[in-house]
Amino acid sequence: MGKDTKKVSGTIDGRETSVPRGSILLRAALDLGIGVPTLCHHPGLPPDGNCRLCSAETGGRLVASCLYPLRDDGFVVQTRSPLVVEARRFVLGLLLSRAPADGYLLGLAGEYGAKADPRLADGADGCVRCGRCLRACRAAGSEAIALVGRGWGRKVAGPFYEPPIDCVGCLACAQACPTGAIAFSEEPRSIWGRDFGLARCGSCGAILGTPGELARSGVEVTLCPSCRRREYSRAVASLPPAQS
Amino acid sequence: MASVDLNLVDEILRTRPPEPRHLLALLQEIQARFRYLPKEAMLAVAGYLDVPLARVFSVAGFYKALSLTPKGERLVTVCQGTACHLRGASGLVGALEKRLGIGLGQTSADGRYGLESVNCLGACALAPVATVDGTVHGHLSPSKALELV
Ligand code: SF4
Ligand code: FES
Ligand code: FES
Repeated sequence: MGKDTKKVSGTIDGRETSVPRGSILLRAALDLGIGVPTLCHHPGLPPDGNCRLCSAETGGRLVASCLYPLRDDGFVVQTRSPLVVEARRFVLGLLLSRAPADGYLLGLAGEYGAKADPRLADGADGCVRCGRCLRACRAAGSEAIALVGRGWGRKVAGPFYEPPIDCVGCLACAQACPTGAIAFSEEPRSIWGRDFGLARCGSCGAILGTPGELARSGVEVTLCPSCRRREYSRAVASLPPAQS
Repeated sequence: MASVDLNLVDEILRTRPPEPRHLLALLQEIQARFRYLPKEAMLAVAGYLDVPLARVFSVAGFYKALSLTPKGERLVTVCQGTACHLRGASGLVGALEKRLGIGLGQTSADGRYGLESVNCLGACALAPVATVDGTVHGHLSPSKALELV
């Protein structure tokens, strides 16, 4: 795909801007200093657009700004129109019903006047079903967990609702979770109901990762980065001087 | 649970080339032959297609036509759409639940009947309505509903 260098211009909340065609709306708004709340979006992971918190209005309809490409000249976008605010309040109510104690969501809920739905209290397990963990797992090179089931009962789980056999214990999922809903322990290493051994630096004993995680990366490491650097400079220092 | 006929699973797998895009089709075929997706079969599908088990399980749990537990030989669905509801669908459900000893979404202990609800079969004039393996029975009373099983 050739890089499209043509620029398109328009306004976001009334502010003129000009961006390369196809730029993602969220990026363009943030570049203007316009804050847009997000949840399922993670800058290091492929976008999914499932939480709808980042909704914005253009051409009379709502779009997910973390997915929406600005393609046409003359775009007019509102990130805080009444339509957007109403949609965001609704979405926040649902998200809060899942994670009623989450500080970030509570802050936004205060701002937008959103409340958790008491009828949904049985699903308040802290997980907002944003799927960041699945995307992180995939990006890390595994696909150990998935969203399973339908409707309100849908949840993140391992195959057969058992501890995931393909998990290597890298914790990428837990780090990507916006609400901290995934229980884990760094040392001793455990997550998703499984325990993992830890490989350590042969020199200083720092944690290198789980054996499965190291095997997945495909490169053999026995030293931590700083010990590796030290060994390397020692080796360089002991070389005979270069011939000129 | 009775042991799963792995030869049959194998036979089903070999009807398709081992490409990830056949995942849903294979699961549907296994569902059709076993009336559910046995764990062993899902493991076999994951291995055959070289698709992560998590993805197989996610697809298996997503579609209503696929089931993780054995479905009954015959499926009884009771309409709970508005018209049927007003004309006493809950009475039909209650009678069938009692007779079969199960709740909605479950399968009778002998494996012969599954009981489910649907929302409006588009036969509101016949309300209340139930189907047995897709055949519609209308103007039911609780006692007439029991004659279906
Ligand atoms: S800890 Fe397991 S489930 Fe989480 S990202 Fe790593 S491999 Fe995937
Ligand atoms: S952040 Fe855009 S839809 Fe979730
Ligand atoms: S409500 Fe039962 S058929 Fe329409």
